Amino acid sequence: MEKITITIDGKTVEAIKDQPVLMAAKENGIDIPALCHHPELENSGGSCRVCLVEAIQGGRSRIVTSCNYPVRKGLEIRTDTEQVRNIRKGVIELLLCRVPDSEVIQNLAAKYGIKEPRFFTDEGESDRNKCIACSLCTQVCEDVVGVSAISMQNRGRDKAPGTPYHKDSSVCIGCGACAYACPTNAISMKDEKGVRKIWGKKFKMVACSVCGKPYIPEAQVNWIVRTTGKERSFFDKCPDHR
Amino acid sequence: MAGQVRKKVDTKQIDKIIKSYDKSEESLLAILQDFQRSFQYVPEEGMKRLSKYMGVPESKIYAMGTFYKALSLTPRGRHTCKVCMGTACHLKGAGQILETIERELKVKRNSTTEDQRFTVESVNCVGACAMAPVVVVDEDYSGHVRQSKVMDILDKYK
Amino acid sequence: MKAITSFEQLEGYREKIKASQKKDLPSVLICFGTGCQANGAVAVADAFQEEIVKKGLKVGVNIGLKTTGCHGYCENGPLVVLRPKDVLYLKVKPKDVPEIVEKSLQNDTIVERLIYKDVNTKETIAAYHEIPFYKYQKRIALRNIGNVDPKSIDDYILSDGYKGLAKALTMKPDDIIAEVEKSGLRGRGGGGFPAGTKWRSCRAVDSDVRYVMCNGDEGDPGAFMDRSIMEGDPHSVIEGMIIGGYAVGAKQGYIYVRDEYPLAVKNLQAALADARAFGFLGKSVLGTGFDFDIKISRGGGAFVCGESSALMRSLEGKVGEPRAKYIRSVEKGLYDKPSVLNNVETWGNIPVIMQNGAEWYASFGTKGSKGTKVFSLVGKVNNTGLVEVPMGITVRELVEKIGGGILGGKKFKAVQTGGPSGGCIPEAESDLPVDFDSLTAAGSMMGSGGIIVMDENTCMVDVAKYFIGFLVEESCGKCTPCRDGLPRMHKILSDITEGNGKEGDIATLEELCDVLTYAALCGLGSSAANPVHSTIRYFREEYEAHIRDKKCPAGVCKSLITYSIDASKCTGCTLCSKKCPQGCITGERKQAHVIDKSKCIKCGVCKDVCNFDAVRIE
Ligand SMILES: Cc1cc2nc3c(=O)[nH]c(=O)nc-3n(C[C@H](O)[C@H](O)[C@H](O)COP(=O)(O)O)c2cc1C
Ligand code: SF4
Ligand code: SF4
Ligand code: SF4
Ligand code: SF4
Ligand code: FES
Ligand code: FES
Ligand code: FES
Repeated sequence: MEKITITIDGKTVEAIKDQPVLMAAKENGIDIPALCHHPELENSGGSCRVCLVEAIQGGRSRIVTSCNYPVRKGLEIRTDTEQVRNIRKGVIELLLCRVPDSEVIQNLAAKYGIKEPRFFTDEGESDRNKCIACSLCTQVCEDVVGVSAISMQNRGRDKAPGTPYHKDSSVCIGCGACAYACPTNAISMKDEKGVRKIWGKKFKMVACSVCGKPYIPEAQVNWIVRTTGKERSFFDKCPDHR
Repeated sequence: MAGQVRKKVDTKQIDKIIKSYDKSEESLLAILQDFQRSFQYVPEEGMKRLSKYMGVPESKIYAMGTFYKALSLTPRGRHTCKVCMGTACHLKGAGQILETIERELKVKRNSTTEDQRFTVESVNCVGACAMAPVVVVDEDYSGHVRQSKVMDILDKYK
Repeated sequence: MKAITSFEQLEGYREKIKASQKKDLPSVLICFGTGCQANGAVAVADAFQEEIVKKGLKVGVNIGLKTTGCHGYCENGPLVVLRPKDVLYLKVKPKDVPEIVEKSLQNDTIVERLIYKDVNTKETIAAYHEIPFYKYQKRIALRNIGNVDPKSIDDYILSDGYKGLAKALTMKPDDIIAEVEKSGLRGRGGGGFPAGTKWRSCRAVDSDVRYVMCNGDEGDPGAFMDRSIMEGDPHSVIEGMIIGGYAVGAKQGYIYVRDEYPLAVKNLQAALADARAFGFLGKSVLGTGFDFDIKISRGGGAFVCGESSALMRSLEGKVGEPRAKYIRSVEKGLYDKPSVLNNVETWGNIPVIMQNGAEWYASFGTKGSKGTKVFSLVGKVNNTGLVEVPMGITVRELVEKIGGGILGGKKFKAVQTGGPSGGCIPEAESDLPVDFDSLTAAGSMMGSGGIIVMDENTCMVDVAKYFIGFLVEESCGKCTPCRDGLPRMHKILSDITEGNGKEGDIATLEELCDVLTYAALCGLGSSAANPVHSTIRYFREEYEAHIRDKKCPAGVCKSLITYSIDASKCTGCTLCSKKCPQGCITGERKQAHVIDKSKCIKCGVCKDVCNFDAVRIE
């Protein structure tokens, strides 16, 4: 890990070569909004476009997404110029048009002084209600969980995650990792009476032998046992009582 | 073959198409296109078998099916009528030609007539711009199409 | 065919087929491009076959007969060319064939009614190279098209094919790259990036695997030069790619062809098979020890797949979305290996650059843009089609000299270049030399070379709406500005064209333009503002007429126009009243007809059928 210095908003800061500018800024207490980036997911970022900053390198200035722009020697970053703010605001306004019901986006919009979007809004079906099509859910399912039960479907404004043919997935294990990863809480996951419902499919939950609380889908236990060789008895108790 | 009444999807045909390509992800799109050509759409069974054979998650193949315009997930009509809406054709009145077809066949663009005779699609440039406006039925190109004559072209396809 | 394993063998083979050719044999060349086939070229070819036999003549002995790729003049197809006389016949029908054989092949006369007639001067011209459409062209990328049979590798070899490759294989890879750099060749697919520089960067990356690719996705709706080259001269692309593969150190090449081009796929496939059989592809190309092969991949019908990173994802068998990372394909491209992607026309230029040298190539064109460029000259001009001219020709020369002026004597308004990523150039600016830099400076871009000519009946707001509508459908949906911004832009433009525009709409459009330009992930979104920006820049008053006066000056926007019949021109032929789908045209025979405006749906059928130009749009 090679440490180098760059400037962010006039401040000279230390950062790791090739690390995303967003992370370097964060570590130095500079806040840049970001929705679609997850440090653990190699392919994340670059989709929502709210993390835009101005990058000046080798005398050339351009607007880039900080979540995937690599830290390099001599880099100068400006996170809050008028142009950056205006364009970022424009992007947030468009997100608000897409998902007017998302609290996360409403709050972000309020921060940028957007009360009402000037353009028509998408009256999304319940599924797409809050989804900003960032693809974090599908990446988690593929890269972390390893089942690829969902994918980003369609193109253009109809882009949205889902299972093939919107049918119950034959491979989903009901782990809920996708729902936890979603930046706008767009994935509905309900645990009720020992049954979890996610992506339209129902999963029977295993209850903790100590507290009796259903805490993990059986399908997930089977998957972990099968892929990691862990003892099934390990899942008799929930993490709180192990 | 276009023009045939579609029967139940033939799994033998599916497997034959799959096996005619290298077992590599690189072949996925080509196989899906061959499905499209053989069945006039990409059947669910085809995606399932392809997923299994290649070891590629079905969700990924389905995503391709919904992304590429050359693929459709619902059966198309016996004939495909593509109305070019490329720039050259647009300027020469392709919009009115498409509207005429929609009106006469009682069908919206990118959908199929009730009697399954035609699927009407708007496409972007078929590479014959010098003959704009262009209509392509199945594989037959017609250039310099006029809206008062376009139905005569379609009448030939039953 | 036994593979050719040395340069001497190749030259020997070339001499052999040259010697077997009959000199000055009267020959018939029939265009078999997509356009001419659509117009009935196959039947014409059959008629020639039949007629020649009937006359007791023999193909190849008394008369030469072959089919070729697209001459670019498809509007007037089927085209038939006679050699060595250099006579061009247009719109040939099977029933014309006996007369052609008798008068022009067996005798030395011309069938007057089939030759070119200038719409402006009424002058007739029989000689192919004398008609204005061809006279001002300089064909380098299109050098063989129309002369060779694309399905015959012998024909290509006869036209000095694979000479450039043979020469390149004797050079050091670095010297080949230096030659390409010196030629000044810039990418013909849109960006105009110097080809040699790209190759050098790719070669410089340390890796044991590299790839070269050909972008045949031709997404610009209104351009078809790549189709014509792939169909009409597939070997030139293949030869260029072999040279490129050798220069950058790649063993595998890919050609990504648009799904809508079945004939291109067929001809490329046949050419690849022949090139393999001849030893130009495969193990040890021409016995040099260099291994190289090429695969074809059909696109799936997605404009964004012309974008380089999306194209590579698509080739890998994935959804063709652009890559968000800030990495160049020359470092990590296909399968994350160093890769070179060039356009069809770029590759097609390589063999002649190798053969004739960089200086020769650089002698054409302008300071910053060397060589020639193929343009697809379409829209409201008299002569539409593919033309190849030296860079630096002016827009006006293209439209007036080659294009023969505006259709129907109407007023020239603007040209649109660069497709959905480009912009408009108004008539007032049309003395602008066409090259990469001056088009960009004028707010448009070269793009792949589509030049769409617009006349006084073209509405510029409608044009902007058209392109944005195109892009709405083609946006991959990965990033916010493009996915969610374009539909909003389209709505504003639709409102304007429907008479619902508001004060301030232009400013709002410009704001959205900025968000797209600066915030979109890939070139599709970041250049999407160009058609809007440039029309606002040059035709602001037309936007204002729609917004303020609720008028479409060009008479295009349906909601803002009405149809009526000019009583002084109407002969009362009743045709329109029969054809009107609404039945809202009435009138007695031989009396002026009237349109009931309350029922008229503005379909335009009446205007289309009227032979007396009596239907008016206001
Ligand atoms: C949305 C989009 C579509 C494109 N479509 C094409 C295309 O159809 N053909 C092409 O050659 N280049 C296309 N390009 C440009 C390519 O990304 C790439 O720059 C080019 O193929 C490189 O070859 P060249 O340097 O020889 O031009 C497109 C770019 C974008 C952003
Ligand atoms: S719940 Fe299903 S879709 Fe979501 S991450 Fe887990 S396996 Fe994937
Ligand atoms: S559901 Fe959430 S995580 Fe998935 S794409 Fe939509 S916003 Fe992103
Ligand atoms: S600009 Fe448009 S096409 Fe390009 S990545 Fe974004 S959404 Fe996709
Ligand atoms: S077609 Fe023309 S001339 Fe004939 S009735 Fe109609 S308007 Fe009059
Ligand atoms: S966080 Fe950077 S683009 Fe979404
Ligand atoms: S625009 Fe219609 S064929 Fe090209
Ligand atoms: S197809 Fe014959 S000239 Fe173009």
